[in-house]
Amino acid sequence: MVTYDLKRLAAVPTAAELVDIVLMRTQRKTPTVVHPGYKITRIRSFYMRKVKFTQQTISERLGAIVSDFPRLDDVHPFHGDLMGVLYDRDHYKLALGQLNTCKKLCETVCRDYVRLIKYADSLYRCKALKVAALGRMATLIKRQRAALAYLEEVRKHLGRLPALDPTARTLLVCGFPNVGKSSFVNKVTRADVEVQPWAFTTKALYVGHMDHRYLRWQVIDTPGILDHELEKRNVIEMQAVTALAHLPCAVLFFVDVSEQCGYTLEQQKSLYDSIRPLFADKQLVIVANKVDAKPLEDLSADHQQMLKDMCAAHDPDAVLVPMSNVTEAGVQAVKDAACDVLLQARVDRRRAAAGGSRLRDKLTRLVATPADAAQRRPALATALPMGADEDRGPSIPASVLAARKAKKLEKRAARAAQDADRLELAALEARDGGHGSTTDAAQQAEHAAQQARAIARDAEAARAASARPPRTTERERMWAGGGPGVYSGETSREYIGQLRCDEFATDIQPEIMDGKNVLDFVDEDVLEKLAALDDLEVETDQTLDQLDAQLEAARLTPQEAAIIKAMRDRQLLARNRAQASTNRRNAPLPRAARLRTEEAPPADTLRGRARAAAEKRGRSLSRRPDDAMDTSVERSKSVAREPAAKKRRRDASRAASAHRSSSRPPPRNEQGLDGQAAQDRARLLQKKAQKKMNRMARGGEADRKTGPKLIRWMNEGKRRSGTSHHR
Amino acid sequence: MPQHEHIEQHRKRHGERLDAPERRRKKEARSVHERAKFAKKVHGLRAKLFNKKRFKEKAILRKTIAAHEEKEARARNNTSDDKAAVPAFLLDREGTSRAKILSNSIKQKRAEKAGKWSVPIPKVRAVADDEMFRVQASGKRKKKAWKRVVTKITFVDPNFTRKPPKYERFIRPSGLRMKKAHVTHPELKATFCLDILGVKKNPSSAMYTSLGVITKGTVIEVNVSELGLVTTTGRVVWGKYAQVTNDPELDGCINAVLLV
Repeated sequence: MVTYDLKRLAAVPTAAELVDIVLMRTQRKTPTVVHPGYKITRIRSFYMRKVKFTQQTISERLGAIVSDFPRLDDVHPFHGDLMGVLYDRDHYKLALGQLNTCKKLCETVCRDYVRLIKYADSLYRCKALKVAALGRMATLIKRQRAALAYLEEVRKHLGRLPALDPTARTLLVCGFPNVGKSSFVNKVTRADVEVQPWAFTTKALYVGHMDHRYLRWQVIDTPGILDHELEKRNVIEMQAVTALAHLPCAVLFFVDVSEQCGYTLEQQKSLYDSIRPLFADKQLVIVANKVDAKPLEDLSADHQQMLKDMCAAHDPDAVLVPMSNVTEAGVQAVKDAACDVLLQARVDRRRAAAGGSRLRDKLTRLVATPADAAQRRPALATALPMGADEDRGPSIPASVLAARKAKKLEKRAARAAQDADRLELAALEARDGGHGSTTDAAQQAEHAAQQARAIARDAEAARAASARPPRTTERERMWAGGGPGVYSGETSREYIGQLRCDEFATDIQPEIMDGKNVLDFVDEDVLEKLAALDDLEVETDQTLDQLDAQLEAARLTPQEAAIIKAMRDRQLLARNRAQASTNRRNAPLPRAARLRTEEAPPADTLRGRARAAAEKRGRSLSRRPDDAMDTSVERSKSVAREPAAKKRRRDASRAASAHRSSSRPPPRNEQGLDGQAAQDRARLLQKKAQKKMNRMARGGEADRKTGPKLIRWMNEGKRRSGTSHHR
Repeated sequence: MPQHEHIEQHRKRHGERLDAPERRRKKEARSVHERAKFAKKVHGLRAKLFNKKRFKEKAILRKTIAAHEEKEARARNNTSDDKAAVPAFLLDREGTSRAKILSNSIKQKRAEKAGKWSVPIPKVRAVADDEMFRVQASGKRKKKAWKRVVTKITFVDPNFTRKPPKYERFIRPSGLRMKKAHVTHPELKATFCLDILGVKKNPSSAMYTSLGVITKGTVIEVNVSELGLVTTTGRVVWGKYAQVTNDPELDGCINAVLLV
């Protein structure tokens, strides 16, 4: 089902605006430049595109309107009927239908004109056809002026309808005009409904919300209803009727007992009777309003009886609550009564629905018992657990079996005892009768008695074996241990019988030790490992002993120890002295770093000699000051910074003096120039002469090269059609 | 929770700002100046649209002003028309107004008479063959050029059967065939979409007539049975002539005027 957001429908443009929108869009979104010199196919496609694009835009816009507006059959029946009442169902459907037709007609126009443009042989004809096509589409839209204006009004009104949830807990207030419905809604909710002393002040449905028993309730204020036929009711009344017809709610029927509203109690009764069919399946509370003006007791007996009859007519449980908006007496009672009766009904309904579902569930689930399966009864196709075919006899506990055995033995013992008694009696009779076989009989009796005793002993043993140890329940233990609150159960009992020794059950088990889970460190074969460790320890002890013996042999003599101590002392002394004697403010540098500084190493070392030779040849040993990698503190302190250019010049001159032998001529650019000033001047002139060539990007005076010429319009900007070589 | 006409309700309860009417008046007074400013500034397509709209508004304005003036003048005339003696210098006025009415009615009559005796478009631009036909190259090597394609709207009889396409000289593309025309009845001032029965005469050439080409000024025969016209003898007329008043190949439809 489609869900519609009635509050956020897009605005519907008027016909003139829609035409503007569509044509503007065509103008902006399709190419605008065409020339008669173009190929005719290109011209045709240019205009076809315009026509098609316009049609697409129209279809889009009209389609959006048609699909955005709710279809009356798709929304909740309450909303559907309310909209039908407010905006006239037929009018609404017609308006949407007309827009849909208009859309289809535009598509037809587009198809026809595109076909004609295909045969057009000149730009003029194409253009004329395009103009005609757009004009016809615009005319079609303009004809929808009324429908579009109507839909815009509907949209505005829909946006201002109260947000009414048809499924929420709802109290619905209804009755004649001017009986105090809106005043009541204002009292119990924050809805700001206008209250005036004339009829039909409320002309639409108003919704307010309130809290009761921590639940949210919506209270709907309806316009007053007059007592006449449905056909004669106007739009205002029909809204109330629609709400009554479609919302599952508790109805508060307001009766003005003081008759200040201008309608007698009889008239109100007759209205109640005429709209009573709408209350079916709803909870009803009849509110006797304005009791401040006329208390219920002051009513005549007939009237009182009438009110009671009104209650009884709906439902024996329907209640009559007296109320006054002025004194606020009974307002709370009305609210409570209505909410409670509705809540109860809702709960009952839900429970009934749930019960029904459970029953359905049972009916649909056909359970095939294993017994059925064993007897291969034809069952419906039901799934059976795996292994259901196996014979699965009843599982009888051993204790029960033992008890049965004991019982059987007891029976046998009793029977044997009877037999023994009978035999003894026979023996006694025989002895008294003086028969010859008395001794035999006595022996038999004796034997039987012995057997019976033996069986009885067995039975007793079996009974003793089968007897369960006396079991105390946890509850008994609790009472014995001081009652609830004092007694605390022992969990250790669960472990009895599971451990090697029952006393272990009460041992304290550390679970966390030193922040670690003890179980992580439990090892199954810890004992073997422990034994292995023990072995290792013994072994290690032995080797250590051996080592000790060896060390004992290699120990220093006191003289040797004294010499070593003296050596170490001297070293320490020398280091301390050296540190004390230097007046450096910084920490001493390691030797490797120190070697890289400007300080001259002693000439007798290899580095020193190398350095001396390099200096002689004029090579600079200092690194350039802009060397970022050099972080040596020493250097930055000792080397005076010079301007880079000056230094470079000095280095160069020194390099020259060292590099070139004096017999060779000076470089070409210095020949014939005496002095630095002349050289500088010459360099300046050279630069100046170079300037133009640089500007023209020439290699030199002889450079006359011309590159491939690039035509500006061919090589820059956006490229639409063609390649960069050919357009 | 605002619902329904909450703004009106608020106004009813608390009123408006004290200067609200004044502000409204000022805003309205300012609007003409703002429009003028916009009219000066705007250019391009927007200007075109704006000026067109403004032109229409002004035309309506002028018409209403003229109507009011005319009403006033008539009222004044009526007041003076009391059958009393009129001075000589005032005699002229009423006479002119009456004369005007007379001249108007004469003009109208003349126009009606003229309508009876002639077709709506008496002069028709001649359409040459090279405009009417496009040459279709045919033959295996596309060397032959004796086939012609009609480039205008045509009417083809529903029971027309094609010749073998190979030997068909004139091709009337199906995309350019039309069967209906929008025919205006000049006296009823109503337009109907009617079936075409045939092409009576294309003034440019007899060949066009036989081909059924419809251009501006062509006289066509339309089916007027829907209109329910009757002859003087009481028989129902169902075929009537109409003259085409537009260029169908440019407009994509045929508009015609019934010849009565």
